[in-house]
Amino acid sequence: MITSILVVSGIGLVCGVALALGARYLSVEENPLIGTVTELLLGANCGACGYAGCGGYAQAIVAGEAPPNRCPSCTPEALAQISAALGIAPIEAAAREVALVLCRGDDEQAQKRFVYDGITDCAAAAAVGGGDKACRYGCLGYGTCLRACPAGAIEMVNGVARVHPELCISCRKCVAACPRGIIRMVPAASHTHIFCSSRDPGATVRKVCKVGCIGCRICTRLAEGAITMDGTLAVVDYKQPLDNEELPAKCPGKCILKV
Amino acid sequence: MTSYILLVLGAVLVNNFVLNRFLGICPFLGVSKKLETSLGMSGAVIFVMTCAAAVTWCVDHYLLKPYGLDYLQTIAFILVIAAFVQLVEMLLKRYVPPLYSALGIYLPLITTNCAVLGVAVMNVQNKSGFVESTVFACAAGCGFALALTIFTGLREKIERADPPRAFRGVAIALVTAGLLSLAFMGFNGLVK
Amino acid sequence: MKVSPAPFLFRGGIHPPDSKTATAALPLKDLPLPARLEVSTSQHLGAPAAPCVAVGDRVTAGQLIAKASGFISANVHAPAAGTIAAIREAPTPTGRTATAIIIETDADAPAGEPPYKPIPDWREQAPRSLLDRVAEAGIVGMGGAGFPTHVKLSPPGDKPIDTLILNGAECEPFLNSDNRLLIERAEQVWEGCQIIRRILGAGTIRVAIEDNKREAAKALAAAMESAPDDAHIHLLKTLYPQGSEKQQIYSVTGRTVPMGGLPMDVGCVVENVATAYAVWDAVVNGRPLTARAITVTGDAVNTPTNWFAPVGTSFADLVAASGGARDNLAKLIAGGPMMGFALPSLEVAMSKTSSGLLLFPRECVRPYRSMACINCGRCVEACPLGLMPNELSQAAEADDIDEAENRHVMDCFECGACAYVCPARRPLVQHMRRAKAVITQRRRAAAQQKKT
Repeated sequence: MITSILVVSGIGLVCGVALALGARYLSVEENPLIGTVTELLLGANCGACGYAGCGGYAQAIVAGEAPPNRCPSCTPEALAQISAALGIAPIEAAAREVALVLCRGDDEQAQKRFVYDGITDCAAAAAVGGGDKACRYGCLGYGTCLRACPAGAIEMVNGVARVHPELCISCRKCVAACPRGIIRMVPAASHTHIFCSSRDPGATVRKVCKVGCIGCRICTRLAEGAITMDGTLAVVDYKQPLDNEELPAKCPGKCILKV
Repeated sequence: MTSYILLVLGAVLVNNFVLNRFLGICPFLGVSKKLETSLGMSGAVIFVMTCAAAVTWCVDHYLLKPYGLDYLQTIAFILVIAAFVQLVEMLLKRYVPPLYSALGIYLPLITTNCAVLGVAVMNVQNKSGFVESTVFACAAGCGFALALTIFTGLREKIERADPPRAFRGVAIALVTAGLLSLAFMGFNGLVK
Repeated sequence: MKVSPAPFLFRGGIHPPDSKTATAALPLKDLPLPARLEVSTSQHLGAPAAPCVAVGDRVTAGQLIAKASGFISANVHAPAAGTIAAIREAPTPTGRTATAIIIETDADAPAGEPPYKPIPDWREQAPRSLLDRVAEAGIVGMGGAGFPTHVKLSPPGDKPIDTLILNGAECEPFLNSDNRLLIERAEQVWEGCQIIRRILGAGTIRVAIEDNKREAAKALAAAMESAPDDAHIHLLKTLYPQGSEKQQIYSVTGRTVPMGGLPMDVGCVVENVATAYAVWDAVVNGRPLTARAITVTGDAVNTPTNWFAPVGTSFADLVAASGGARDNLAKLIAGGPMMGFALPSLEVAMSKTSSGLLLFPRECVRPYRSMACINCGRCVEACPLGLMPNELSQAAEADDIDEAENRHVMDCFECGACAYVCPARRPLVQHMRRAKAVITQRRRAAAQQKKT
């Protein structure tokens, strides 16, 4: 009885002492701040900050190489905590931006030129005769952005991608993935958008889509400078306030929506 | 010499730790998604098993046996192995950083793994000598590595094969593991 | 005379039904001049040509209307006299869009002088001046890829060319444009081939013709009566893709072009018969490349025809001249059925590389569902390069592009043999194409990053 207790305790004691000594003499210095900051970041490893994952960004923050507000999905509270942990003055969060698919020409609104019977990928579909959608600028709806999104914020609605702004973490992966280049980052605070990217003349747009910008310029007059024309396409200038409630109803192309 | 060859063959193929004795299933299923990590895990297991067998043989032979404390085997072994692996981890981190970055994160995962403990206990049961114990442990680790590598290769292929929805993920992995185990049954009788 | 079976045979390959009988015996017909021509500035690989005319300008037949921009590019000429009606973006047969010059043609314009000085005594001229003629005449590889010929004919000094292979294989089903050109204009093709040899300074000429086109081989052999002893016609076993450069080089010479290499790495240059004809026309007659042979066929066109048509003719005009399309038309393909491009509509103009236009009825275009790979390995057997299309397509499907790159997806030239034999009907070529596009994009980005 006594022997067994002694032996096991002895082993434990020896092991414990060895570990304690090891921890004392063999430990490698690592800044504990890095761990703290990594935990405060979202952990999505999306790369929107320009570093390899949240760990890499945390290291850069602690080393003072990067400001802590590069992470677009970091909440203001978390940002404040990071600033506090670093012992620096609180840094204001950059205005949150969310991705927006500038096309609402879904299966009911927009026409298709032919039956596409290939792999489900927008880039692959765009390489076949320029894509099956009659509009050269429209969302192809094969979900390349959806697969690129690390946050699951993109949904296919009737053959057109739609970003859920509340889920968007502003990583811009979809912007890079879209072969048509019709996903744009817009301020989360803006709610009125022009959902069309077509640079074709109005007559062409009318032929292929029921919800396209026809370049009539009515909105530019109503919006008082917050909407400008880029060729035949009306584009919202998000730097200006846009609060005309009548816009969606007045758009003959039905492509201005308040969301 | 022949006896050692037979010992190794037996531990690697016939009585494979994972596929025949069903020991060490958690790392087998857990880190078999990518070949890279499974190779790291294999290396860690071979290393830990060999060292653990050596240490536990000493503990058994010089501490437990003389005092007739065989019934304390399990607890003593766990204690020793766990402490030993932690110590090795620290040593690696300090002195061999490249090896640590390759094996480091897997070491704590297998400190109290059943396969490691199993080798130690089996050595005692078989009344093996020191060298025999270490060789057997190393071979068992190699057996684990072989099974894990094969399984990872299969899983990588299955990932791309688009199985039916109900089978996706762990389900098809378990079925595959079962089939692999059946395949290894074919080695039965290779070593008498 | 010098006709013999090819000494070698590449691995893999497939035997699709050749379906050439509908147009094999039909002579080439000159297409009546269409009222409107849509001449693309991107009918070749490389940078599009830069337009050098303005809307409203009058042009003569053969006048330069777009200049080559950069080394890998080619001149574009007006196929007929007329007025420039517009310069705008237009679809190309390969599915992209490029600037096109629209010409309202003037049927009453006098024929006039050829735009370049004919060189009937080319045998006495320096190879350099002949090469310049090929470049100014805007000649491109007319077999399909459209690689500018003057670039191909000026290999770097450390890569001596000893063999010129004249490619008359035409292994794509349905097509007969090269076949008819050989039968009817063998002498011109042969002379063009000799001009190319003079430019290259190559010793041997080897002609490769598939053994289902014996008439063409006979016509060419007759034209070659006075040929030097080293010229030789090889009849290739009818097997797709015999017409592909690397496979043909192996079949004829037994040399293997290294992975990622070019034919010149093994001392060979392969030129299509239509290219040889264009070279003859440019050198001997001083006429630039503005017209080519094109087969319009398929079960959904009323009268299949082999046309000799000006570049820029809209496919709609071609089909109308061929008796119109039938009501059951369901699929259009520019080029051959294996490597051609499906077209969304007939409102696309033919280019220097359009060897065929295929119209298929609904019955021929069955919708299908592609299924998971069953690893039967038929694609591996069929691949003429020895790649593993099963692994490549699965890697591409799982977005594991690195894996596809490690397994040499970049060597794939999209012949379609794998997709043809696949029992699971997987769109293998499309997967490879996507993987290749991603890799090209990555490499370009990496190169850009290096620069900055």
